[in-house]
Amino acid sequence: MVDDDPEEQAPASPAETLRLIEAGRAAAQRDFQPDPRLTYMPWGVAWLVGFGLMFLRFGPDGRVLVAMPELLPLVALYVLLVAAAVVSGWSGMRAGRHVRGASSVQGLRYGVSWAAAFAGVIVIATRYSDRLPNPEVVLLWSGLSVAVVGVLYIAGAAIWQTREMFVLGVWITLANLGGFLAGPGWHALAISLAGGGGLLVGGFVEWLRWRRGQC
Amino acid sequence: MSDEPTQGGAPSPDHELDPVIHAQARLRVMVALSVLREGDRLAFPRLQEMLGMTAGNLSIHLRKLEEAGYVEVVKTHQGRTPTTLLGLTRRGRLAFEEYTAAVKALLSLTEEK
Repeated sequence: MVDDDPEEQAPASPAETLRLIEAGRAAAQRDFQPDPRLTYMPWGVAWLVGFGLMFLRFGPDGRVLVAMPELLPLVALYVLLVAAAVVSGWSGMRAGRHVRGASSVQGLRYGVSWAAAFAGVIVIATRYSDRLPNPEVVLLWSGLSVAVVGVLYIAGAAIWQTREMFVLGVWITLANLGGFLAGPGWHALAISLAGGGGLLVGGFVEWLRWRRGQC
Repeated sequence: MSDEPTQGGAPSPDHELDPVIHAQARLRVMVALSVLREGDRLAFPRLQEMLGMTAGNLSIHLRKLEEAGYVEVVKTHQGRTPTTLLGLTRRGRLAFEEYTAAVKALLSLTEEK
């Protein structure tokens, strides 16, 4: 027997036992769920800064609100989006590593749904990119892309039953529709402030819950 | 080793806590595995890392939990590397729920005094 092993000993009291259970559960829950600061906030920053620059350079009615090279907002947006994909993908994979079964199948298929949706966006938008004036091309790409994000957040909330993700998906969809109907320039402003801001706030709120191990 | 559960009636307040779970190391294993969603399994190295236990020590406690029918140990292969996957059995989940309820009952009893 290993009764000399301190770990074989029973916890000192019922209160101590319950404390061990609750602390252990919170720690494990944090371990299995990615940190929302890494899953939401990089996208929030990318949208806030990237679409913010787009709005300033390609404003409503073709106005240039702040003079800068045409390529700068596009490159900034692209780089920030790639960085966000890397950071959030890494944190998701870290949380799910060494877990087999239903969760990993769900995660994998959800990942495939993002790839499938964006493959559709890219193929469709590319076809019309040469036939439309420049501001409309920007609107087409960003409108379609943000529509996909909104819908997939709502779908993700249905899979993982997270309220924040659902609210965020609905909010992003509304911001996208409103901005799209207002037209080029305004759309970038809506996605920057409402979309990017929403992702930062949503990520923060979910982080508060995650920190307590209640995800 | 055979602790027969007391028969019939409401659970008595001085009801013995399940001795298989009522040891710090095994309690921590049960808690960590109870957080996994049903149908999921965790690989041995990740559990070891989460709990900060040595492989030998963790194996000893897992064997006891497996003997009690609380933990299912599945040995499989991930490519060429052998992997050990762990998860609570239905019986293990139930035993852990009962254990937690018994601890809470004991606690409310001591608080009442």
